[in-house]
Amino acid sequence: MSIDEPSLARLMAASQRGDRAAYRALLGDCRKWLTRYFARRIAPHHIDDLVQETLVSMHRKLATWDSGRAFLPWLAAIARYRWIDMLRRQRDEAELGDNDAAVGAEDEAVHAKLSIDHLLTLLPPGQAQAITLVKIEGASIAEASQISGQSESLVKVNIHRGLKKLAELIESE
Amino acid sequence: MKDASIDDLIDGLASELKPVRPRRVVRGSLWVAAGWLGVGALLVGLFGRRHDLATGAMPPLSMLAFWLLAAAGVAAAWSALRMGLPGVGRDYGGWRWAVGALLALPLAALFVFFGEAHGSADTARRGFDIHCLAQGVVSGLGVGAALFLWLRASAPTSPTRAGWVIGIAAGAAGATIIALLCSSDDLVHITLWHASAVPVSAIAGRLILPRFLRW
Repeated sequence: MSIDEPSLARLMAASQRGDRAAYRALLGDCRKWLTRYFARRIAPHHIDDLVQETLVSMHRKLATWDSGRAFLPWLAAIARYRWIDMLRRQRDEAELGDNDAAVGAEDEAVHAKLSIDHLLTLLPPGQAQAITLVKIEGASIAEASQISGQSESLVKVNIHRGLKKLAELIESE
Repeated sequence: MKDASIDDLIDGLASELKPVRPRRVVRGSLWVAAGWLGVGALLVGLFGRRHDLATGAMPPLSMLAFWLLAAAGVAAAWSALRMGLPGVGRDYGGWRWAVGALLALPLAALFVFFGEAHGSADTARRGFDIHCLAQGVVSGLGVGAALFLWLRASAPTSPTRAGWVIGIAAGAAGATIIALLCSSDDLVHITLWHASAVPVSAIAGRLILPRFLRW
């Protein structure tokens, strides 16, 4: 079943009035939308955590949706905020996993606006390549070093700096 | 496993749902106006208004500076309020134009300063009026507090930018309040010791507020 803006806005308006059945349906739809939203932005093993964090944030900030405005841009703004938060945590922890393979997702207008491909073009090539190889394609640091010709420490530094810049770019979009 | 935990989460969130009152920018702006008027009335009551305010005979240059600062304050406060209601694609940058127009003050002050640099009496009399600046920064706290509380209860998606804009709004509000108290009509004084509350408060907002605005 497709998730359309008018239905979501109706469910959200009912949720703000305290309708629990509408809210449960809304959260279910948001879960599907968020799973696709995050699928093209982060590694698969982080998606469920980020979906849960976003649903909780959405619940806490329910009153900040204005019924005079569209629902999906509001949800996307909260999802983006949680995504940036995760990028910051990853940067701070320098957490470099080995199983970061990306999965495909359908194109949508809101998705396209914050496409990771677009954002990567705004980074210096060395940083974009290190992030693509390790955080998106799932290569190890050693493999990324071999493929890119960068030293292992340079790969780590480029990922650290690239994620920091990426977070700033997303905030300014 | 994960699917089950998200299902549980959805059940839990739905079961604890209570009706919420949607946040409205207009309601927030009333609090900001109250912060502005409240502090302004308090300071005018404590220190007295400038001599020509009652007669409406404020010199045009002082009047122009006052309205430039007021426009920057209103634009920044409005942008800060809107930042509390997030949405991808929304533009929160309206304050930039009003703050850009404020640059007319230091530019004009530079011309005045160097135009009088041949030892005129005015230049010699210009003192170090940091108390005006300090009063301006403190006077903006009402607006700053109102905006901070609004955004803390809302969902600003860029706490750093929100910190800047709250500071600009508070500084501009404080500078307008000082313009009602200080009787100086010297453009260099107005720029240095009144309008400087805007960058000072903006930097303070940037340094202090973002950590408290994260959610």
